[in-house]
Amino acid sequence: MTFSHEPATPPVPERNPTGYDVSMQVEFHDYGVFLPEIDLWLDSTAPQRATWISHGHRDHARGRHERVLGTSTTLRFYRMRLTVEPQDREPEEFPLEFGETLDWNGALLTAYPAGHILGAAQLLVTYKGERLVYTGDVKLRPPLAGVTAVTVPCDRLIIESTFGLPIYRLLSREEARERIVRFARECLAEQSIPAFIGYALGRGQEIVSILCEAGIRTAVHGAIARFIPIYEEAGYRFPGWEAYDARETAGKALVIVPTHGSGLKARGRNIRIAYVSGWAALSNARARSGAEELIPYSDHSDFDELLDMVTHSGARHIDLVHGYTEPFSRILMKRGFEARGHRAGAGTNVEDAEG
Amino acid sequence: MDELAQVCERIAASASRLRKAGLLADYLRTLDDSALLLAVRFLSTGPIAKGGVNRTLFGDEEKQRLSIGYATMREALERVVDWDPETLRLCYQEVGDAGETIGLLVRGHTKEEPLTLAGANDIYQQLFRTRLTARKVELLTEVFRTYRPLTIKYFVKVVTGNLRIGLLAKMVEEAVAVAAGLPVEAIADANNRLGDLAQVAVAARKGTLSAIETRIFHPMDFMLAKPLDRVEDLPTPAKWFVEDKYDGIRSQVHIDKGRVKIYSRGMEDVTSGFPEIERAFSGASSTAIVDGELLAWRNGRALNFTVLQQRIARKSVRAALLLEVPVVFVAYDLLLESGQLLTGEPLETRRARLEALVAGRKSLSAEPESLVLSPQTRLADHAALEQHFNEARARGNEGLLIKRSGSVYESGKRSGAWMKLKRPYATLDVVVTAAEQGHGRRATVFSDYTFAVRSPDGFANVGKVYSGLTDAEIKELTKIFRSLSLQRFGRVMLVKPVVVLEVAFDGIQKSSRHKSGYALRFPRIVRWRQDKRPEECDDLQRVERLYEASLGG
Repeated sequence: MTFSHEPATPPVPERNPTGYDVSMQVEFHDYGVFLPEIDLWLDSTAPQRATWISHGHRDHARGRHERVLGTSTTLRFYRMRLTVEPQDREPEEFPLEFGETLDWNGALLTAYPAGHILGAAQLLVTYKGERLVYTGDVKLRPPLAGVTAVTVPCDRLIIESTFGLPIYRLLSREEARERIVRFARECLAEQSIPAFIGYALGRGQEIVSILCEAGIRTAVHGAIARFIPIYEEAGYRFPGWEAYDARETAGKALVIVPTHGSGLKARGRNIRIAYVSGWAALSNARARSGAEELIPYSDHSDFDELLDMVTHSGARHIDLVHGYTEPFSRILMKRGFEARGHRAGAGTNVEDAEG
Repeated sequence: MDELAQVCERIAASASRLRKAGLLADYLRTLDDSALLLAVRFLSTGPIAKGGVNRTLFGDEEKQRLSIGYATMREALERVVDWDPETLRLCYQEVGDAGETIGLLVRGHTKEEPLTLAGANDIYQQLFRTRLTARKVELLTEVFRTYRPLTIKYFVKVVTGNLRIGLLAKMVEEAVAVAAGLPVEAIADANNRLGDLAQVAVAARKGTLSAIETRIFHPMDFMLAKPLDRVEDLPTPAKWFVEDKYDGIRSQVHIDKGRVKIYSRGMEDVTSGFPEIERAFSGASSTAIVDGELLAWRNGRALNFTVLQQRIARKSVRAALLLEVPVVFVAYDLLLESGQLLTGEPLETRRARLEALVAGRKSLSAEPESLVLSPQTRLADHAALEQHFNEARARGNEGLLIKRSGSVYESGKRSGAWMKLKRPYATLDVVVTAAEQGHGRRATVFSDYTFAVRSPDGFANVGKVYSGLTDAEIKELTKIFRSLSLQRFGRVMLVKPVVVLEVAFDGIQKSSRHKSGYALRFPRIVRWRQDKRPEECDDLQRVERLYEASLGG
C-alpha cells in the first residue's frame, strides 16, 4: 500500500566507473563534516559560513549560520527552531529540492530524498569528476510519511550507522501500521487508553496519520502537533486529530513525546504505552521507555538496509557517522570496503539518538 | 513450543500481573496433560524435571540440571551466522540476554520449521544426556538452523533459566490455579509439598491435589520474618517468644532413614560442605524436616559470616578446614516428623516436638555437639525485649527473632507472625561510581548505585545499593548521573565519582566481586550527603578496621 499523494522519487545519475582513489578532502569534526575545497559544512551544529542541513531534527538543524542549504521543507523546520534575537542576521537560504542542482564553489550539489522524515535529503557533491554522497539520517525502505529514498551511486559515501548491528532488523511500514492500529483498537476495546511514544518531528506525525486514517480518535501532544500543518501542506492527512488534553483522554489514542510517557504512567491511570522506535527491537527498551508494547519501526535504515545502501552505492570508501560506527565499519571492512567510523556531528551518543 | 514462545512474548508485553497470569492460564487450558506438564516445567523448573521425578528415566538423582555454557551456545551460533566474535559480543552486550540475542541473529538463517513441546523436550533430554560438548554444539546448531527465531529465543531462555518476561514463580502458580479453577493457595501449598509445579498442574486438573504428599528431599519455602524498627512497636509483648537472630546460613535439614540433606535458602543442596552436620543427624530414625541455621561456632559463640563462607559450595571438606572452621546447626523449627506435616500446628507444639527430637540426639548421632537447640524464651514486656536484644548483641549475634505464640509455620511468607529486630552495624560515607536503571516504576530512572570508598589508587567499590531515597531525589540524581556519565553498558552507566551517600549496613565480608576485596552486607541508603565532597568519604582503611573488629566477635 502506498499513499496516493506520495511524491515521486527523482531518477539518479548513472554510476561513474572511475575506480581511482577519492581525492576530495573531507574533515570530520565533533560538530559536523567539512568539505574545505568548496567551503561547505554538512550538518554543522556550530555556527558556520555555510552548511548543508540534511533534515529538520534539532540535532542537525541548529546554529545561526550565515548561509544554509537544504530542501525548502527542511529550511522551514530550521527556521522554526531558531530563536530570533533582534540583533541577529537572518541566515541566507539556498533551497534545493529533490533532483535540483546548484553550483557551489566549483562543485555541483544535487539533493535526493533520504526517506527519514518530511524534507530529509541526501546530498550528492560532484567535484572534479568525483562523486561524494552525504546521506544524513536515511531510511531506505518507504517511510510512512516522506519521499522514499534512493541509493545514489558514488565514489565515497558518508552514511549514518544508527542501527549498524545485525540485531536491529525493523518492521516495514505496512507491518508497523498494522501493529499500531491493532494495539490502539485492542486497548480501546478494553476501555484502556493507548499512548504512543513517538518523537516530536517525524515519528509523531507518522503515528498520528496512521491512527487518524484508521478512524481512531487521536489526541496529539503539542510538541508533535506544531509540525502537523507542514505535513498537511505536503499532502498528508490527519483527519479529525485533536489537541491533547489531560482531562479528556477516554476513548482516544494519545500520541506523546518520550519525556511525557513516564509522567503519564506515574499518574496510574488506565494507560498502556507503546514505544514506536528502532530501539524497540530489543526487549530492554521496555525498561528504558516504560512501555509495555514495543513496535520496532524507525525512520532510520535498519542493519540490512544500511548494508544494501552501502553495497548498491558502488562506493569503495565508506565513512560512518552516528551510532555503531566502529562495529559497522569492521563489518564493512570484512566485506572489502574501505570503511572508517567517525565521531562526527549529532547523535554520536547512541542512547540520545532519535531512532 | 512455538505457541509457548508466542504466549511468552505476549506476557512480556503486558504490564499487568493479572493479564500476564490470564494469558498463561488461557494457554494452559488448551493443552493436553502431557503438554501441560512440559509447558509448566519449562516455565518453572527449567528444561529438566527436578528432584527424582525423572529418577526412573535417568537413575541419577544428583544430576538434575541441564547446564549449557555460553561458550557452547556461541560456538553453535557461529556455525549458523557469519558475524565475527567481536560483533557477536557487542550484540550480546546491547541485548543483555543470550536467548534474545540468538533469536535476533538467526533470523534469515533458519528453515523456520515448527517445534512442539514434546519435540523441544526430546532435544533437551538429548542435551541433558550427552556429556560431550561437541555433541551439545551439534545439537544446538541444528536447533538454530531449523526452528523459528522466536521459538529459538525461548528454547534458549528455558535453558539459561531466566525468561525475563516479568513472569514471577508466583504468577505461574496463579495461572495454573486459574486454568484449573482452584484457589491459588491450594496450588502453592501442593507445590510446596511436592516441589514440582508441573506435576501439581496435572494433578490439579485431574482433581488429585490432596493426594500429593510432602516429598522429602525437596526444600520447602522458608518462613521469613518482618523487620521491627523499634522495640516499642511490638504489640502485646507477652504473646511472643524470642530467640537470638544468628548471622549464618538459613537451612533446612531433611532426614529419612539415615539419609540426610541440607538445603540453603537458595534451595541449593549444600550437604557436601557440612559433613559434621550430616553425621549429627544420620542416627535419627524418624523422617523429619528441621528448620534452622548453619553457623561457624567456637567457644560457645558464633563467628563472623565470612568465616563460614569458606565452607560453602564445597564438594568435600578437608579435615584441617573442619577444625579451623567448626560448624554447628542451630535448630529452631520442625516442619515434618514421621511423615506428618507440622506446618499447620501451633508454634508451641512444633517446638515441643523439636525439643524431643533434639533431646534424643545423644543416643542417635555421632556428633551431638554439632546440633544445638536455639534457646527460646517467653517475653514479658518491652523492657525485657530490650534486654534480650542487648544480650544477643553481646553474644555477637545480629539481634532477635520474635515469634508469636500459637502461630503456624507460613512457608514462603513474611507474615508478621515472625519479627526480627536488628540494629544497623555502622554507617559509611561512600561515593557513587556507577548507576543502573531500576525496574518497574523505576525503569526510567537510575535507582541502583554501585558505591566506593577512598583507596590509595582512587576509589574502590565496596557494594551496591538499591533505592532508599525518595522518588524526587532519585529523579534529581538521575539527571546528575547523566551529566556525570563516563561510559554506558546497557542499563549500567559508569559515572564520575561525585555524589556522596551515607549507607548503613549489617556487616562486612571479604568479597572477590569488588576490587577493594570487601563487600558490605545489606547496605541501604541513609541519606544523600549533598554537604560532602568525594574527598571526604570514608576510606578503605576504615572498612578494614570495621572488618577486623567484626572478626573478634
